[in-house]
This record gives sequence, structure tokens and C-alpha cells, in this order.
Amino acid sequence: MLLAVVASVLLYFLDTRLDYFKPIRASLSTVVYPVQKLASMPDDLVIWFGELFQGHQQLREKIMTLEAQNLTNSVRMQKMQALESENMRLRELLGSSFRLQERVQVAELLSVDLDPFYQHVIIDKGESFGVYDGQPVLDSLGVMGQVAEVSQFSSRVVLLTDPSHSIPVQIVRNGLRAVVTGRGLGEALQMEFLPHNADVRVGDVLVTSGLGGRFPVGYPVGSVISVDFPQGKSFAEIAVAPAARLSTSREVMLVLPGEKIDFGITFPLQIEESELPALDEQPAIEEEIEEQPEGNN
Amino acid sequence: MVLVKSQHSSVIYITLLFAILLMLVPLPDTLRYARPEWVAITLIYWAMALPQRVSIGVAWFTGLVMDVITGGVLGIHAFAYALVIYLVGRLHLQIRQYPLWQQAVTIFSLVFLVHFIVMFNAPISFVWTNWMTVLTSTIVWPLVYAALRKIRRSFQVS
Repeated sequence: MLLAVVASVLLYFLDTRLDYFKPIRASLSTVVYPVQKLASMPDDLVIWFGELFQGHQQLREKIMTLEAQNLTNSVRMQKMQALESENMRLRELLGSSFRLQERVQVAELLSVDLDPFYQHVIIDKGESFGVYDGQPVLDSLGVMGQVAEVSQFSSRVVLLTDPSHSIPVQIVRNGLRAVVTGRGLGEALQMEFLPHNADVRVGDVLVTSGLGGRFPVGYPVGSVISVDFPQGKSFAEIAVAPAARLSTSREVMLVLPGEKIDFGITFPLQIEESELPALDEQPAIEEEIEEQPEGNN
Repeated sequence: MVLVKSQHSSVIYITLLFAILLMLVPLPDTLRYARPEWVAITLIYWAMALPQRVSIGVAWFTGLVMDVITGGVLGIHAFAYALVIYLVGRLHLQIRQYPLWQQAVTIFSLVFLVHFIVMFNAPISFVWTNWMTVLTSTIVWPLVYAALRKIRRSFQVS
């Protein structure tokens, strides 16, 4: 018993206090991955059988709708490309740097329930696919969270709703910056540290602000569902509903930052980011970044 | 003889693995807090029936596996399970004699202890729904007890 206590306490401190314990943890996670895979098997089988016994008609309809969707998407994409190149040119004229769209990699969730106190999920891509610690995770509607632990074949993702997770955001309507923190399973997110006179309204859309350097700029995080100014408290209480379908999405996207998609269009004014002249306002912006509380955890 | 023996103790490990799988199988969000502590009660059963087989070491190791799987801080589940199995090891002769309701009270307090230790480190406020698992564990205990006894007798694990 004494041995077990000592070993537990030792592990506890090694795990919480020391950073270099992470690789050991990661390799342990690799070892238990088969168990997790096994646990997700029943759910996978149900889905697989569902697909197997889908009727011919159903499949045809599905293909039809998907094709229609694809058509509208590609039309929109063409417009996007034009707008993006225009935006790029304008920004270059202004002399500010701009990063084009990030590349994404698709991963699938394992249908496994972890401890309900932590809002974590397991995805089926790991180190062997180049997943790294802190990588942003999206679904088709918005930001889901970030990678917290990478093992060989799987990774653990912390969702936005985890109480230990915060994300720097910006209101689309007026550019107000803030931090959104999770509140746990089934609870709305909370927008923190905003004074009572902050210009926030119900229905405001929040996107990532890109401060903190973890999440790329401009991905939807959620929308404000209630604003309350409680008497006697220094900050407003603002509840935010996440944009991503945190509990139903099966396919997620991992963002590979720093890489540009080449659309095959060359601009006459294509300049590398590093070659761009520095803006006069640059120091001021950096100051703001430092003031911002570290959002990522 | 040694071979036969080890084969039989593998039954214990298979039931433990099955318990771990039950802890992972997806449930709807509303039911997630009500998931019984399958691993803890399986360990308690084996420690009660065969204290020489399921020792603190086995419990500690199972807890470590749970820690890694659930992604909590390492050592929490390990400590909780080891402590509970230590208590069961001290009390197993009494627990075996208890009538069902008294056994249920014992299980209730043991699972409460496990859950308290696990919750102690969780980044979440204390809400009564978080403690549903203690109640459900007590409710499923008679079933688990009957099933595991059946398994133990039919495979003659000793």
C-alpha cells in the first residue's frame, strides 16, 4: 500500500510539474490506443452496417444533393478566389502582411467517452501524420478546440467547452477582442473580463482573433446567446454558444498553419511575408498582444 | 499446473478489460455523469472474492491504465483504486458475510471514496449530478456481483 501511495504521488508530481514527462505519457497513450479503438468498435460497426444497407435510391439521392452542394460550393469558391486575390493585392498596396488560407487535414473522432469532467476527445491521427501539440482543430462550422497530447497513432483534443481551455476571439461587428473560456459538459462558453459598458449584443458572431499565435485568424468560434450585467460584479456575464457541433461532428479538420495554398494564380505583386516592409504601427500591435491574457492552455 | 493457474487468472484480466471498455463506450451527454464506476466495482469484487489474486498492485496498475485512457493526471485513478482495494483487502472477510443491503452501503462508501479522489483533481465545480455515478454503481452492484460470481464459478478461478 505504501509503495502504491508513493508511486501515485510521485507520478502525480512528475506529471503535473515536469514537462519532459510528456513523451512518456504519449507513449503510454500509444499503448492504450487499441483499447480505445476496441471501445469505439460497436459504434463504428453500427455506422458501417447503416451504410451497407442503404438503399440504391437513398444513395442516388445522397449523391445528387452532394453534387448540387459541390456545384454551389465551387461557384462560391471561384468568387472567393477572386476576392482573395483582390484582398491580397490591396493589402500589399497597404504594405501589411496577410496569410492566405491555411491547409487542413481531415481526421476522424474515435467514438469513445472519456472522463466527463474533462472535455476531451480522441482523434485517429497522431504523430505519424504530423499532428503536433497545440494544433487547431476545426469542424465544418467552426473551431472545435486544439490538440493537447500527441501519441503515435492518435491524439487527444481539448474542446472549447473544457474548463481549462480559453481562446482569444474578436467580435465580427465591431472588432472588440476578448477571451472565451469553457464551462464544462453541456454548458455554454463564457466571454470573460469584459466591463459592463462593453459593446456586446445577443447574436454577435465571434471569430478567432489570431492573438496568442495558436489559432489562425477569422474562424468562427460561436455567437453570443445572452448578455447580463450583474450588479456588484466587475465583469459582464456573457454566454456564448459554440459554432462547431462539438458533440455530433465525426470528421474534424486539423489546420496546418504557415502553408499557403497555391491556387495556380500568380499575382504581379507576389511578395514573401518576410520581405514585406514593416509597418509603422507594428510596435503598437505587439504591445496589444502582450496585454492580451494568454488564451491558450 | 502453473499454466492452468495463469490461464484462469486471465479471466480476471479479461473482466477488467471489459470493465474498461464499458467505461469508454459512448453514452448520451445526459447519461455521462451516471455511468457506473465499472472498473472500481469489478476490482472490488475480485479483491473481495480472491484477495490473494487481485492485490493493490493490480489495482494500481489498472488505475494507471484508466489515467492514461481518460487523460486525467497520472496517478489519480491509480491511487484511488489502490486505496480502495487496500481497504477491501483488510475487510474482505467481513464484506463477504454482509447481507445485501449492508454490502450496498459498503460499495456506496467505497465508490464514493474513489469518486471523491478523482473529483478532487477535476477542473469542475461540485454539482450534485456529478455524484450520480456513486448511486448507479451501487444499483448495478448486485448484478455485477451475480455475473462475476457466475464467471468465477464456471471458470473455477481461484
